[in-house]
Amino acid sequence: MDRLIYIALTGMDAAMNRQRMTANNLANANTPGFRQEVFSVTPSTIKDPATDMRSLEARAPARGWVRNTDMSTGSVNPTGQPLDIAVKGEALIAFQGPDGGEVYSRRGDLRVAPSGVLENGEGLPVMGETGVPITVPAGFAINIAQDGTVLGRDPAAPDLPAAPIDRIKLASAEGSPLAKGIDSFLKVPGGGVLPNDPTATVTPGALEQSNVNTSATLVEMIEAQRAFEMRARIIQTAGELDESSSSLLSLR
Amino acid sequence: MPTSALHVARTGLEAQDKRMRVIANNLANIGTAGFKRDRVDFATLAYQENRIAGQQSTNQTAFATGLNLGTGVQVMGTTSIQSQGTLNQTGNTLDVALDGPGFFQVEIPPNGQIGYTRAGNFTLSAQGNLVTSQGFQLNPPIQVPQGARSIQIAPDGTVSAQQDGQAAPIQLGQLQVANFINPAGLQAIGDNFLIETAASGPADVGLAGTFGRGNIRQGMLEGSNVNVVEELVEMIEAQRAYEINSRMVSAVDEMLRNANQTL
Repeated sequence: MDRLIYIALTGMDAAMNRQRMTANNLANANTPGFRQEVFSVTPSTIKDPATDMRSLEARAPARGWVRNTDMSTGSVNPTGQPLDIAVKGEALIAFQGPDGGEVYSRRGDLRVAPSGVLENGEGLPVMGETGVPITVPAGFAINIAQDGTVLGRDPAAPDLPAAPIDRIKLASAEGSPLAKGIDSFLKVPGGGVLPNDPTATVTPGALEQSNVNTSATLVEMIEAQRAFEMRARIIQTAGELDESSSSLLSLR
Repeated sequence: MPTSALHVARTGLEAQDKRMRVIANNLANIGTAGFKRDRVDFATLAYQENRIAGQQSTNQTAFATGLNLGTGVQVMGTTSIQSQGTLNQTGNTLDVALDGPGFFQVEIPPNGQIGYTRAGNFTLSAQGNLVTSQGFQLNPPIQVPQGARSIQIAPDGTVSAQQDGQAAPIQLGQLQVANFINPAGLQAIGDNFLIETAASGPADVGLAGTFGRGNIRQGMLEGSNVNVVEELVEMIEAQRAYEINSRMVSAVDEMLRNANQTL
């Protein structure tokens, strides 16, 4: 039997993986700040170097990967919540990851944890420019300015203007490698931190949604589904070809 | 696990279903005094498989690490949105509203646990105690003696009344207001009551109008902070997201059926 069925099988496998990624993108279509994944399938051909340019490789098993994260901006919805922030431009908010390292996200639904630490809806502490998570003193009412500065009003001195506590670290990913880790957070591969972007600004009272375009993703879903079915059909055809060639040689 | 796309889509269905429940509860409580709406927090579930393939990226793309497939979405919890509801003039002497942060304190029977509420639609019990609509006593208790007229509740919570034959009003007590570092962390136990949790931090009890606590407004009630339009938009969003995820389930189901029939 020809290797054809194995080629088709790699394609089926890639289509199923693509469908899983698409399912994950769709499931997270309402997760604030979510960045959708991009799939890429590459043929892995084995060529004879001597005839490299002139040979036509008929067999190329496909290898499908989740290769990229689409970093385009999602739609920004006003929520009216004073602690929701949407980052303008391409800067990223720095958070303290579960492992203590710095991770980056566009998710800005912030709140004050019981410990006083400013965190987002996923429970990640927000990093300040001072290099430590921002902590709000007990009882302070806070608001966030356009440049990301967290201003606190001392309840003991209600007449004083709100004083800055720290500025939220808004990092620039310009020219730095960035990868989505297994914990679903963006980080610098191999550790390290992104530089601070002093020019970055935020819109308080608004929240950036995910950048999943549901109609485009539904089309991708149908594509993956049909590609899977076509490859199953190839395997079926290969089986038929195999049968007919064996019957040619049968001594009846 | 070739069928895991089904499970990923299932997490999406479950999350949207929970969101729908929260929206339904918000809408159901639109007329509840002092009710605060809840917001659902979605979070991405962890990824599976990991092969390091970090590469230089442009601003538009970040290279994920090899083949790491997401496992879906989860509801992390709900955040109660603590914005002020609208203050409605009722003209009722014993209706009080908090204009600003804070909660009234109520003793919940049988064990006298302190419940916190912003619903200030109080009444008098047969014994002359100031009680909630459930008949629970305020803490500290306020007792109105027989024959007291024209009860006055000042913005700082001082309760006074006129008595027959006396020109000067007598002071009956003072309402106290509890504030929390993180009021969104309070746990709702029904009947408009919230109780203290580790997430809310301890109650900081004091006089109304001090240390960031709101003022008390007599003759007014705070409505819910549910905005119908906002909830309906959320509802449509949740409904569509649910449909899309169920479409995903049927697509993967068809793929598997096709493989079963063809191969």
